[in-house]
Amino acid sequence: MKTCLIVDDSRVVRKVAARIVKDLRFAVSEASDGAEALAQCRKQMPDAVLLDWNMPVMNGLDFLRALRREEGGKKPLVLFCSIETDAEHINEAIRSGADEFIMKPFDAEILESKFAEVGLV
Amino acid sequence: MQDAVFDELADLALKGSGQSIPKSKSYLIEARLSPIARREGFGTMDDLVHCLKSRANPVFAAECAAALVSKDTWFFRDREMLHRLVNEILPARLKAGNTGRLKIWVAGGSTGQEALSIAMLLEDELPASLRGAKIDILSTDICKVTTERARAGRYGHYEVQKGLSVHRLVKHFTRMETGQWEAAEPLRSRISFRQHNLLESAAGLGKFDVILCRNVLSGMDRTARIRVIENITAQLMPGGVILLGQGEGLIGLTDQLEPARDIRGAWVAAGTAARDASAA
Repeated sequence: MKTCLIVDDSRVVRKVAARIVKDLRFAVSEASDGAEALAQCRKQMPDAVLLDWNMPVMNGLDFLRALRREEGGKKPLVLFCSIETDAEHINEAIRSGADEFIMKPFDAEILESKFAEVGLV
Repeated sequence: MQDAVFDELADLALKGSGQSIPKSKSYLIEARLSPIARREGFGTMDDLVHCLKSRANPVFAAECAAALVSKDTWFFRDREMLHRLVNEILPARLKAGNTGRLKIWVAGGSTGQEALSIAMLLEDELPASLRGAKIDILSTDICKVTTERARAGRYGHYEVQKGLSVHRLVKHFTRMETGQWEAAEPLRSRISFRQHNLLESAAGLGKFDVILCRNVLSGMDRTARIRVIENITAQLMPGGVILLGQGEGLIGLTDQLEPARDIRGAWVAAGTAARDASAA
C-alpha cells in the first residue's frame, strides 16, 4: 500500500484530507508542521506528501527545500496545498520542488484529480 | 416538484434539446433552471411553467431547454483519446487530405474545456508530423450563456483543478483579480465558439476532419440521438472521424457509420474499415 504524509497545522484539514486519501487506498500519517514532517521523512520516505504552506516552526516551503536535499528526498511526490493561490506562490512552489499544487479549499474530486495528475492513482 | 410541472419541463427538454430527464432526476431540472427562474423573478418552477404555457415565447422556451442540458465537463477528460487525436488521427488526416489544413469540431463543447485541452496539446506536444499545419477548432454549445462563458475562457477555482496540471495552469492561464483564471490569448485564438443546437442542421458550420461529440448522446433519447448523428455525419469530410464518449455506441442507431479500426470510440463512414483492411 502506498503511503501519504499529510502536513498541515490544522487538525480539521488533516482529518478531512486523511479521510479522502484513505479512500484512495493510501496509508496515511500526519504531521502538524514542517519540522515534524521532516523527522518522519528521515525515518521513512512516504510515496506522497500533501503539504500546507503556512505553518509554525517550519513552513511548507522550507520543509520542501530541506526534503529535496535529504537522501532519498527526491522520491516523494509533493502536492502543495495552500490558500496562497497567486501565480507567484505557485511558481515558487514548483521551483522549490513541488510536483503539483492544490488550491484550498479543495474537495475529494480535486484531490483525486491531482493525485491522478502525478500518477499516484 | 409537482408531477405536472415535471412533465411540462421534461417535455420541453426533450423537444428543445433531445435530453431525456427521468423523474428520479427532477432535482436536475430545479438546479439547472433556477438561475433563469431567479433572473425572471419566478418564485417557483410552477410560475415558470405557467409563463411558458401562457404566452408563446419560443426564444425563452429555447433558452430554458438549453439550460436543461448538462454542462458537466473538465480539462483533459479522457486524456488517452485526446493524445490519440493529436498523435495519430490528425497526422493521418493531414496526410490524407493533402491541403495542409485540418478542421476540428467539438460538438456540444459546453464551457470549452475540451477544445482548450486540444489547443494546449497542440501548443505543448505538437508532433513533428503536424508542424506547419493550419488547425482550426470550432466548439459549439446549445446554450448562449455557456457559449459566452466558453468564449471568455475564464474558469473558477474548482474548474481549473479538474484535469489540469498546475504546470499547464501557470503556463496557459492568468489569474485575474476576481480569483478566476483566464486562458491565454494564443490558446483562445485557436478556437471559434458558436451557439448551435445539434438537433438542427449544421450545414452552416462547414465540413470537418474530426468531430468530437463526446458525452452528449448519452443524455438524449433514441430519436434525438439518431437526429444528432445524422446532422454531424453530414458535416464529416470524406475519410473523417467522429469521436464519441466512453460507452456511447452507435450500433442500431445508424448504418452510415462504423467503428474505426484500432481506435476505441472512433467512428468512420461505413465501408471505410473494409477499404483500409484491403488496402493494408
